[in-house]
Amino acid sequence: MNNLISLDSLTDIVSNSVGILIIFAVINLIHDDSKTYQLEIPIEHATELKPIFFIAKGDRILPINMTKIFESTTVQITQGMSENKRIFPLDYFGLYGQVDSKENSGISFHVHDISQWSKTQALEKNTSALHKSITHIDPKTQFAYFFVYDSDDETASNGFEAFRQARKYLKKYHIKTGWQPVSAENPMIICDEAFNESCTYLPAYLGKDTP
Amino acid sequence: MAMSRAIKAQRYNQGQKLEISLFPFLSIFLCVMGVLSFINVLSSFSTPQKIELTAKLEHGYKVAYQIFSLPDGMISLPPVTHLQKLKEAVDNTDKKTIEEIIQRRKKAIRTLEQQPGSAMDIASSADIIDIVQITHDIRVLNELALKANHLYEEFLLFGIYPNGGQVYQKIRDVMTLLQDARSISIGLEPLDPNWTLNIKKSVQR
Repeated sequence: MNNLISLDSLTDIVSNSVGILIIFAVINLIHDDSKTYQLEIPIEHATELKPIFFIAKGDRILPINMTKIFESTTVQITQGMSENKRIFPLDYFGLYGQVDSKENSGISFHVHDISQWSKTQALEKNTSALHKSITHIDPKTQFAYFFVYDSDDETASNGFEAFRQARKYLKKYHIKTGWQPVSAENPMIICDEAFNESCTYLPAYLGKDTP
Repeated sequence: MAMSRAIKAQRYNQGQKLEISLFPFLSIFLCVMGVLSFINVLSSFSTPQKIELTAKLEHGYKVAYQIFSLPDGMISLPPVTHLQKLKEAVDNTDKKTIEEIIQRRKKAIRTLEQQPGSAMDIASSADIIDIVQITHDIRVLNELALKANHLYEEFLLFGIYPNGGQVYQKIRDVMTLLQDARSISIGLEPLDPNWTLNIKKSVQR
């Protein structure tokens, strides 16, 4: 018993540390309660730039090749597959289309499968199709417009984080971005502003990025 | 009993000091320390972060009218503070108009503050009348500021929460039909579910 090392100082240090941690936790709680983070929001601007469309869902992004989409849609309409607002396959990465010829509301898109879409990690890979489609955008004449799924469903979660990552990446190439939330109930629509005023696709950027 | 007392007495008589082992206390302290550290780290990740939408770099004089779009509806946080300066800058006839808008907004803010529950539970449905009123007020204020040559412009900032897109689309659809809304600048940002609102801080601005 006589050979026991005195643990007084160690106990002292440990109890002090516990006390400091308690104080730190309390301060943290009070501080967190009053702290407000300011999110700087990009503002939409009228532009002459032409939109290049993308869809973000879960952790995946799909660039939309409008030429292929129009070709598929034309074939389906010619074959009468689009009558009565019927949903038809576009043969394009699990996308389905819908046309309401009476209302001139453009093409509505429905996503059935995203397994073939590129993951956001592919942005950094020079060989990926997603990277190539982005680097083909000319920032002087074009901008990227995202339809971002805002709801979680059985196929994927919302595409908010994928969109944020893509936006950050596109900024490196000085490419402007715009977006709108979409969902299964409120599908993405691509149409012409000349027929419908709600068919406006605008880039949004911060004041400091104003050209 | 007598035997045990004798043994104890014998021990003390030998001049030995009674020393208590501190290991149980130490282990308790270390456990408490570990648990507290864990709670601290956990709380820093899971505590909802209070946010406020701004566009302070947008030329420096634009003021945000914040609208948060949630699955259950919307929460609108109108700016009030900067309106007093605008009121001082306009003609007497326009002062009354601005005062009416200020009172209307203060009433809306009071209603928000008096709602029980957390900030995220007080969303109200996006009524067309409300959207029309909001856009009309913004347009009137922007025009009065322009007329008085006062640097002030209000614009709409939308914070979209998961599943809140439908409410946002409804508001935008209504806005496309409104003449008042055409001149109003708009910003929108996706928000994470753990980002909550600080209504008191926001309305002070």
